[in-house]
Amino acid sequence: MTQPERRNFFKQTIKWGGALTLFTVLNSPRVVWVAGPGNPLQTIKENTFLQRDDLADALKSLYMTYDSTSPYPHKFNDVISKGQLECLEFFISKGMDKEYVAHYIAVMAPVLQNIKQGVEKEGPEKSLYGLFEDTSAYQLFERIEEKPGERSFPCPYKRALENCKKWLPNRFTMEWKDVCNKWCIPTWQGFVKVIGVNIAVQPGEICIVKLA
Amino acid sequence: MNSNSKRSEKITNALKTGDDISRRNFAQKLLSIATLSSLAIASVPEAALAWLDGGFAQREDLADALKVLVKTYSDTRPYPHKFNDALVKMHLRNLDFAVRKGLWKERAEHYVWTLGVVVDRHIKKGIEMFGKEAFLWGNFERTSCSYQLYEHINIKEGERSFSCPFKPILDQIQKTIGTYKITWDDVHNKWCIPVWSGFANNVGVEIKVEPGEVCRVKVV
Repeated sequence: MTQPERRNFFKQTIKWGGALTLFTVLNSPRVVWVAGPGNPLQTIKENTFLQRDDLADALKSLYMTYDSTSPYPHKFNDVISKGQLECLEFFISKGMDKEYVAHYIAVMAPVLQNIKQGVEKEGPEKSLYGLFEDTSAYQLFERIEEKPGERSFPCPYKRALENCKKWLPNRFTMEWKDVCNKWCIPTWQGFVKVIGVNIAVQPGEICIVKLA
Repeated sequence: MNSNSKRSEKITNALKTGDDISRRNFAQKLLSIATLSSLAIASVPEAALAWLDGGFAQREDLADALKVLVKTYSDTRPYPHKFNDALVKMHLRNLDFAVRKGLWKERAEHYVWTLGVVVDRHIKKGIEMFGKEAFLWGNFERTSCSYQLYEHINIKEGERSFSCPFKPILDQIQKTIGTYKITWDDVHNKWCIPVWSGFANNVGVEIKVEPGEVCRVKVV
């Protein structure tokens, strides 16, 4: 074993001592405490999902849905999509689709006014947030891609309408484009008119809604 | 390729194309059913086709489903949201419009006529084989229209009961936005009862409905 030189010893002390200090700082309780949002002692208590005691029924419904794969693979948004299509078919057949859309916009007025206030405070992005992520409408879309000024999602109606036409023959005469042009687009355009922003909708298998 | 990966591929293809899973695959599945009760159900071939067929583990779209579930159950303001929230609201909104326009009866009839195809195709045969109980089975625990709507269905011989999903949401709507004209009684009398009675009439079964916070439907 060689005796370390005074100069070498100094270098080693700086190197390893520095590394040790950095390691200690990174692992200090203070860093740990401030690593996550809020008080970590309250994390579980403040996690709304973990506080729910009705998850068992939700999971059972999910399991029953996704364990039913024929004649087509069922999804969580099956019934809402089909129910919406059935009702739209009825009111289109009565020539009342415009009134049907107008009713939806009218009953949503207080919610839309709240979104409008959010837009006035925080900008137009709030309108997309209010219409898509911040409403249980997210139960209709399998997933929502969020980009500044744009939301996109797989159309839930295309597949549902194909299944309805196949498995409920002669019950649906409307076409997919009717769903886009007589339901989704006029409804969203009606909503944003109240909110006070403009949007452009590109319907498709992946539907895109953009601030205009 | 093992049978699970084959099955997974079939489900994936069906998800992409909307095509059905083959009869051969269904027959294979039937052979694996061990219990007598399952065999009894499976002996109504078309009725058994779409229900709890063991495909869960092969699904590739579970991540999106679970994310929506977590999002829903994390959403507790202004009230704790449940998996059926948007569906219940859709039914209430549609009923509100139909009632305002005086079309609730015709609308319920249209719903029964539309879905009656399924009732005629599956439930009639089930009743011939298993009796009236098959009507309750087909109308409630067997169909996604019900198990995606009702949080929990209690099953008794000749009776199904469940918490009314419409009351808490309608109360909430009236309390917060107050834009609907329908009452809870309208939901029973202008939607649930006419629809269930319509399906029952289609297959020659008589039912009795006791609406309430826990709603009961009995065959008589």
